[in-house]
Amino acid sequence: MSATPVPASHPRLRIAARTGAAVLGGYAFTWGFIAACTALAVKLGMDFHDAEFLASALGLLLFLAVFLGTVASRRGALLLWGVLLGGGALLAAAGSLLQASIA
Amino acid sequence: MFHSFRQAMAWLHTWFGLVLGFVLMAAFFFGALSVFDREIDRWAIPATRFEPQPMPSFEKVLRPAFERLQPPPEMVEAMRPRVDGPMPERFDRIAYWSAYTTHRDPVLAIYAGWEVPGARNPDEQLYAVGTIDPRDGTPLPDDRLKIGSGFFFPLHYGLTLDWKNLGIWIVGFSALVMLAALVSGVVMHRKLFRELFTFRPGKARLRSALDLHNLTGVVALPFHFFFAFTGLVIFSATYYFPLGHTQLHELHELHEQHEAAALGLPHGRSGVPAGLANVDAMVGEAQRRWEARGMAGDVGFLVLQHVGDANGYVSVYRAGTDRIALVGQGIHFKADTGALLREDPPATPVARVAEFLTGLHLQHFRHWLLRWLYVFGGLMGAVCIATGFVFFVEKRKRQHARVGSQGVRIVDALAVTTVTGMVLAALGILVANRLLPEALPGRGDWERFAFWGTWALALVHAGWRSAPVARGLPNPAWREQCWAIAVLALAAAVLNWITTGDHLLRTLAAGYWPVAGLDLALLAVAAIAAAAGHRLGRRAEAAARIGAHGGEAAHA
Repeated sequence: MSATPVPASHPRLRIAARTGAAVLGGYAFTWGFIAACTALAVKLGMDFHDAEFLASALGLLLFLAVFLGTVASRRGALLLWGVLLGGGALLAAAGSLLQASIA
Repeated sequence: MFHSFRQAMAWLHTWFGLVLGFVLMAAFFFGALSVFDREIDRWAIPATRFEPQPMPSFEKVLRPAFERLQPPPEMVEAMRPRVDGPMPERFDRIAYWSAYTTHRDPVLAIYAGWEVPGARNPDEQLYAVGTIDPRDGTPLPDDRLKIGSGFFFPLHYGLTLDWKNLGIWIVGFSALVMLAALVSGVVMHRKLFRELFTFRPGKARLRSALDLHNLTGVVALPFHFFFAFTGLVIFSATYYFPLGHTQLHELHELHEQHEAAALGLPHGRSGVPAGLANVDAMVGEAQRRWEARGMAGDVGFLVLQHVGDANGYVSVYRAGTDRIALVGQGIHFKADTGALLREDPPATPVARVAEFLTGLHLQHFRHWLLRWLYVFGGLMGAVCIATGFVFFVEKRKRQHARVGSQGVRIVDALAVTTVTGMVLAALGILVANRLLPEALPGRGDWERFAFWGTWALALVHAGWRSAPVARGLPNPAWREQCWAIAVLALAAAVLNWITTGDHLLRTLAAGYWPVAGLDLALLAVAAIAAAAGHRLGRRAEAAARIGAHGGEAAHA
């Protein structure tokens, strides 16, 4: 996916696209991360609530890092949206596959 | 979009901090008050001004109280469309009865949940909450607003915006922004150590506001980070990332079955009616077992699952008065025979980290010094955010005045509303609590109206008085609301005396700190607010003398 540069004459649109990616894209990516981590930890024998807690705590720190990184990134907002939503979807799918292999 | 990482961080810090700062102020300020939520409850409900009580006898006190509980009629009505067939006259399929208490609770909150026959979603239950006097089981009217634990506390994490948990989401996003503001603030300043020792109150307003912003941010940096982070962690699995109830529901179900197997009882109800053995005997047995482990203690949490069913069991948890964890050392008994089913194994390392993080945030354990440090930490967070607003305004005021922009005027008025206006709202509910007639129907609702009404008035006042800001001058509303705080805080303490007879000499002599402490805090607030109002007044006079055009002078 190539980043389509938004014209510089729309600074508000650029800010909206970027903060949107940081907040919503970051959320989707974090969701996927927590799903994959929880399922993986359970697969490796951890108690469900322990896995859920550990993945959530790490996921929240990851969300913070993704949020800051997306705002500061020099890449185009569209690319960031793609990476975060795509990555989140892949991770979530991994979580569901792992769950299916256990339950 | 930005030329450097630092520039991006500065942009994020300024604008996200400005927009969500208003929410964060409420989370920090009412969080600081929630540290003493149960004590504020005592002040607000004079009938409950007695010493904390241990968990009462089940057979003598709790059982009759639980048996009286039924779901509130409006909740039954609300569920009716999601149920096939008629609603029962009396709900008797008890999912759970439970009671939770701490070393600071004179009254006891009890909870009950019911399964509903014919519910389309079998997991949807009806529930009820009651409050009793644990000394004799007398039910206490539940429409008396527990201003501390029932209003300030939920306000702190959910703004009492219950629709679709909107408030919880807003506060959660603000907590993420708080973390981002802390990181970006550190990136912006770099000279972190120096900020610890820099405060120049005599310097220009701009510089001293920034000094105080940095000082309160850096001194309590671990505190701010810890509370914003653990606040998110506590709600994560329930609200923000509810995977166990959605995407990973099957794993969660599997876990419940493992738990049931470990307990030695099938998961869920059997449908076979059964009796209930003596619960006090089970509690006594649990306490004997704790003592044998060298950790004698009180009961903090008592739960009866599936009461009246052959799969029913009773869980007894030790109060965490001397532990970080809220409760622990759970021991489970079969409800119909009283036979021991299981003692919870020692917590896993991950569970201990979880208990530590949530326990330290909620602080139900006994440590009065730490409790006060939390109050000061929370207030420091509020000061940090408030000085952020002041800095934002001071930095842009003259420039906005030159070009005729109203931007900082609006920000300043909102800052007045969130700083002094929020204190006024908190005092407004306390004053209303003492002034409203005891028997007023829906008294708690009127108290809430007083809170929001006071806050709305503060907003109107701040906006109405804000014109000087557009000319580069201070808003006199800051000073006037300081004086209003002084008057209301004093009034609240005096009204407590007049309406209950519990003046400071009496409560101090009796050592009844929940009420004495709040009265002393009210007097301290009155004194600080009066001093601040006086100072702001002198400054305005000085400005008027040296010939500021219009502005303050015209309003004086």
